[in-house]
Amino acid sequence: MNIKILDSWLREYLKTSATPKKIGVNLSLTSVSVEHIEKYKDDFVYDIEITTNRPDLMSVVGIAQEAATVLPQSGIDATFIKPDLQLPDIHPLKSPELHITFDQKLINRICAVIMEVTIKQSPQYMKDRLDASGIRSLNNVIDITNYVMREIGHPTHVFDYDRLLNHTLNIRESKKGEKMRTLDGKEYALSGGDIIADDGKGEIIDLISIMGTANSVVTNSTKRILFFIDNVDQHHIRKTSMELGIRTEAAILNEKGINPEYAQDALARGIELFEKFADGKIISGIIDLYPHPPKETTITLSEEKINDVVGITIPLSKSKQILTSLGFTVEQQEDKLIVTVPKNKQGDDMQIPEDLIEEIARVYGYINIPDTLPTFSSQAYFHIEKNDFYWEDRVKDALKYCGFTEVYTYPMVSETLYEGPVENAVTIQNPLSDDMVYMRSTLIPSLLKVVKENQDHEIIQIFELANIYEKNGKDLPKQLLKLGGVIHKPHASFLEAKGVIERLLEDLEIKKVDFKQLTDRSGALLSIDKEKLGTIEILDGTTVTFELDFGILLKHATLKKLYHPVSKYPPQVEDLAIIASSSVQTGDLIEEITKQSELIREVTLLDKYQEARTFHIIYQSYDKNLTDKEIGEIREKILKVLKDKFGARLKS
Amino acid sequence: MEEKLLGIKNNAISLILETKSPKELEEIRIQFLGRNGEVTQLMKDLPKLSKEERPKIGIVANNVKDIIEETIKTREKSLKETKSLHVSSLDVTEPGIKPPLGHLHLVTQAIREITTIFAQIGFTRVRYPEIEWDWYAFTSLNFPENHPARDDWETFFIKQQSDQKKGTVLLTPHTSSGQVREMEKGKFPIKMLNIAKTYRRQSDVSHTPMFHQFEGLVVGENMAISDLKGTLNYFVKSYFGENRVSRIRPYHFQFTEPSFEVDITCGVCLGKGCRLCKEGWLELGGAGMVHPNVLKAGKVDTKKYTGFAFGWGVERVLMMKEGIKIDDLRILYGNDLDFLKQF
Repeated sequence: MNIKILDSWLREYLKTSATPKKIGVNLSLTSVSVEHIEKYKDDFVYDIEITTNRPDLMSVVGIAQEAATVLPQSGIDATFIKPDLQLPDIHPLKSPELHITFDQKLINRICAVIMEVTIKQSPQYMKDRLDASGIRSLNNVIDITNYVMREIGHPTHVFDYDRLLNHTLNIRESKKGEKMRTLDGKEYALSGGDIIADDGKGEIIDLISIMGTANSVVTNSTKRILFFIDNVDQHHIRKTSMELGIRTEAAILNEKGINPEYAQDALARGIELFEKFADGKIISGIIDLYPHPPKETTITLSEEKINDVVGITIPLSKSKQILTSLGFTVEQQEDKLIVTVPKNKQGDDMQIPEDLIEEIARVYGYINIPDTLPTFSSQAYFHIEKNDFYWEDRVKDALKYCGFTEVYTYPMVSETLYEGPVENAVTIQNPLSDDMVYMRSTLIPSLLKVVKENQDHEIIQIFELANIYEKNGKDLPKQLLKLGGVIHKPHASFLEAKGVIERLLEDLEIKKVDFKQLTDRSGALLSIDKEKLGTIEILDGTTVTFELDFGILLKHATLKKLYHPVSKYPPQVEDLAIIASSSVQTGDLIEEITKQSELIREVTLLDKYQEARTFHIIYQSYDKNLTDKEIGEIREKILKVLKDKFGARLKS
Repeated sequence: MEEKLLGIKNNAISLILETKSPKELEEIRIQFLGRNGEVTQLMKDLPKLSKEERPKIGIVANNVKDIIEETIKTREKSLKETKSLHVSSLDVTEPGIKPPLGHLHLVTQAIREITTIFAQIGFTRVRYPEIEWDWYAFTSLNFPENHPARDDWETFFIKQQSDQKKGTVLLTPHTSSGQVREMEKGKFPIKMLNIAKTYRRQSDVSHTPMFHQFEGLVVGENMAISDLKGTLNYFVKSYFGENRVSRIRPYHFQFTEPSFEVDITCGVCLGKGCRLCKEGWLELGGAGMVHPNVLKAGKVDTKKYTGFAFGWGVERVLMMKEGIKIDDLRILYGNDLDFLKQF
């Protein structure tokens, strides 16, 4: 999250001659990222991004301690002025009545006190500091709660004590359907599992750690306040805040998991400010409910480990100095440091030696670590022919040079774009919109959508290489690479698409692909060794599509080259015009002609006109010159078999 | 003499073929066949030969003369044809007849460049599932149970029963999900480059719900922050140019410790600071030393091996490259052919 703080506020806890710019650059490189520094009246405001693992730095005091640690590393003088926060030692004979009950799973700590106050305006410097932080000034009492939050880093809250009619706060999880009205007048129905306080009779009087409710907050006529600091389970806060869309500063901080040690600091600082700016007078005892305070932990750190991770030698004395300056207690034992993590630094990110090495290395300065390259390479041997990415590149290039443009479409599609019954679809549970619900089972509808959206182009030839998805029982869905393409132009023909695929297959050295007519004659089914490769489909007179299984292509693609000696004898060529019924397929005719002699090297269809198909036949021998007689014999054989099998004859 | 004649023949033929005009051709004719031409001169010397040699050389000489005459005639004809062709229809400014040419998507082009750069320093490209178990996308990467990345409004989840061990099924939000899968292969050291489609639940000018990341993972003996710095600087200088510089800053990721944010100097001001950049630097992406918990999840011997990793957006590095200033990222997947055909 980002916080904004004024330079003058920071300097209340940081003594340094560094300019704001210098402070900003040094913090960015070693600690938190100062994204902008802007002028504010005759002051400067820092806009600082603080990562979620460092809620201890989401405050003026936290940043001041960081700056005081990192600036001296660049030779700049800096001292941290630790705030002197003492709770007053007050034990009034008679406290106003207050009953607090809570579930220990929800609450880590509660610090509270009841005070008499006078509502008025805040001093100007406080208004400015809040304004620069992006927080609106309301009145002194509310402003102080926000001021303490920003300065100490723990959110705080005030109730109007006299509006808590039962003098009871019963903190629990909400039930589904419970209603409440927040202080800004908006009404919410809760979904259940939100941390709320009720008044002991069931009426909600606070949305804990997120926002106050209209029935309990301070008004202009408030006389007595309950200053209330609750440290609660962060996950509950995130759930409720996101679900209700209430993103207050308090919620954003609390969902990060603020260390409960700061609750007491916030209480002490708040009391001090209420006394100073709101005629505050304590009328209750100090309440501090802290069922499970954390214990101090220690981490052992060896010099060797530090140097291994960083890549250079950092003297152990230097590491010790850095950690001490950050607030750790450090004891050196030969080549080891025994580091005690103070209670207020404990958290998920302060557990293992690496966490401390990060602290040392960043303050030491990443900029002071040299560049090296690990010299080993991966152990596996590289076989280009078995490398999927090599073939992907080759196929994409082949299509590019056939005039196809590559597209990337989203794999999540709408119900209309999904092919097949959606019950079979791999389905997204939390889609972004109705257009993106199902994981597609074919690329074609997405490609046709692209065609539709580019109608101003007369000729469209596009392709995509991407996954399709299929349910796979209890396992991860199948994710299969497909190569899809569309030819869209006036008089688009099946043979054009087939030609492109044939060209592609030739490039991959894939032979023996079988093209079988689809039963409704709308295209062809392609297979290799009876395994389905894909389809070519004619959609209408202007659109032909194809989709091939890339896995099957990969299985058969090869770089193996076979050498055939070139014949020393010249080929003989002849064209045979054959008349056959249109139900006879050209592929069958070619296959039959080719079979008739080993001397037939190649048979192609030269021309097709009415009932006549002209075949171009090349005869060649490796042993001798072929005589007219020999060729004549083969021709007779061809004509006989074509007549017997297909009722075909030579055109006279 | 026979050799001399054959030499003259070869010389004549090559000169004839090089002529550009009838005038030049006539000059060549005179040079060889004219009254004082080279062939004519030699023929005059025939009577000086012995009786035995005379008829033999005579035949050769006549042959040479015939061939030269023939070649001149052919050349004459071809010069005439060329001339007429040139004069009547050649317009060199007309567009050529081009074979068809399509276009590869910008993202494909970027992925190729990235792959090639990392191959130079020993990284092998791999690919892992886009639809993945929670275990690989989050749990094995040291994400606690309640981490916000698992929220419904961050990550897409698939309607499917959770697996007892591997958790829910989701669209992987980062290529880091390949880290533990790579470690599980059990082959060390590792230099992996995982480039894949990734998904996050957001769509605006700088986010598309589908995008691409490239993830580097190195696991070896004594891998240090210095190795990470060297590796990413190698990429930055190769991809963006040798005048660009990278730096690392402290950051936070669950699966690395320490974690870094990587910046590069702005391509416009080269780090001095200008209106387009933030104080001279642009954010490139995240990196860090692999968290011991991740190595443990990948069954790596943490006493022997440590590692570093980085995962950056393909679209992001593409946008940061000079010359490509796209103000709305969504155009990359809008598939407007007028856009795609620019590249």
